[in-house]
Amino acid sequence: MHMKGKKRDVFTGLIFTAVFCCVTLSINPLFANAGNIQQTDTVPPPSLTEYAEVADKEPGFDAGKVIIDHILDAYDWHLFDIGPKEISLPLPVILFYEGRFHLFLSSRFDHGYASYKGFRIAHEGPRKNRIIRVLDDGKTPDPEASLLLDFSITKNVLSIFISAALLCLIFISVGKKYKQYGSRAVPSGLQSFMEPLVLFVRDEIALSAIGPKHYERFLPYLLSLFFFIFFNNIMGLIPFFPGGANVTGNISVTLVLAMFTFFTTQLFANKGYWQHIFNTPGVPWWLKVPIPLMPLIELVGVIIKPFVLMIRLFANITAGHMIILGFVSLIFVLGEVSNAFGMAISPLSLVFLVFMGFLELLVAFLQAYVFTLFSALFFGMAVPEEHH
Amino acid sequence: MELLSPGLGLIFWMTLSFGIVLLILRKFAWAPILGTIREREREIAISLRNAQHIKRELEELETLKKQKVAEADKQHQELLVRAKTEAENVLREARIKAGDDAHQLLENARNAIEVQKKSAMLEIKHQIASLSVDMAEKVLQEEFSDKEKNTRFVNGELEKVILN
Repeated sequence: MHMKGKKRDVFTGLIFTAVFCCVTLSINPLFANAGNIQQTDTVPPPSLTEYAEVADKEPGFDAGKVIIDHILDAYDWHLFDIGPKEISLPLPVILFYEGRFHLFLSSRFDHGYASYKGFRIAHEGPRKNRIIRVLDDGKTPDPEASLLLDFSITKNVLSIFISAALLCLIFISVGKKYKQYGSRAVPSGLQSFMEPLVLFVRDEIALSAIGPKHYERFLPYLLSLFFFIFFNNIMGLIPFFPGGANVTGNISVTLVLAMFTFFTTQLFANKGYWQHIFNTPGVPWWLKVPIPLMPLIELVGVIIKPFVLMIRLFANITAGHMIILGFVSLIFVLGEVSNAFGMAISPLSLVFLVFMGFLELLVAFLQAYVFTLFSALFFGMAVPEEHH
Repeated sequence: MELLSPGLGLIFWMTLSFGIVLLILRKFAWAPILGTIREREREIAISLRNAQHIKRELEELETLKKQKVAEADKQHQELLVRAKTEAENVLREARIKAGDDAHQLLENARNAIEVQKKSAMLEIKHQIASLSVDMAEKVLQEEFSDKEKNTRFVNGELEKVILN
């Protein structure tokens, strides 16, 4: 029994090593790409337009660009490179402009190098990496463009769809099992894996933060929230196709989650909560009456609470992705100086990557836990017990 | 800064999909899962209480059983002792009775023998008497003169024999 557990640990380590080797390999073509560009430098000077193209592609390996490109959302899902050719999954672009919907695949943009129907992915400016309206030349932003609403199915949106579908699939099947076998059956399979987590959310988060009187009302939301964040965190750690998107490290996603918590708090809040905000008990009257200082501070607190939730999850997950990518990039940055350097640093990078991989697994769980716990605490504040 | 500026499309799709996930999971996952878990916890609590109850009952039964067994054991012992003494009594009585019977039988036999003996003696006496008479007759036929004197003598002799 003991031996078996040990074996499995080693096996997990191997998987991680393999996974990060894959990351290394998938980044490798980028490095090769850099080499190609260096080669083209020796070729006779290119024409003006060609030169612009080359300048656009940025010569050499730019770790910052690689990392930021990964962290940000994208209009197509980059799968891998074959030599200089980028293989990516084109995603639907849905634009609403001047009362009309425009729907086409993102492959029309040719990885951001082309414009289509007067739309283009901006390379600089305040809407960098987003779709903007351009003039007829297909380059300059249209200064008179009206409001452009972008409902594109981006990489993150698709990733959310995939993990949402997965989440529904898994928990509906688990729910079915409970329904089918009733309360006298011993949990098995996926059910026995999920049950401790469900019980953890129920007992350690909802019950302890909200109290036995009200916790059941918030339980479905808290469970969904926990598993949604946890799933997307884990998916973000998988470095290839269905995973790898930085969903929970995207400010829009954490904003929506924080908004859900915020609105749920306000909708379920009882008299005690509002009294606590506008007429805080145990505070001297002069802090409330001529200038409503306490109510103002409390109101600001109401906004700050979900804001902090949003920032915490976003920053933690983004930082984790950045560190992992940083270690991978280190190999190529040093490899550009000299091949031997790159070779020398790669075992060290790999060790750090494995370590970070485990740390990120912990963070994936921890951040899901923290977000859910704080949401539960806010709900607990919204429905204070009478004697409070 | 693009890192920190939320996008409209992503917010829209995220709100939509998370909302749908929330509704679906609430109805098809959390309701059965939490319901069943709660039901199971209730059953476990009831079972535990029942087990306690049954244990107490069993303990009571156990003491009752012990009591009964002890009682039965005592009765058994008593019964055994009584049976033994009774058997002994019966045996003794039987033995006494058998002795008495044998004695009686012996007595009877002795009495019968006595009677037989007496009657045999009487027979012999008669036989002897008739023989004597016959003998006397013969003697008398021989000696007519002395007939009276002889008879007197014989009778006197016979009398002596009988008395012996």
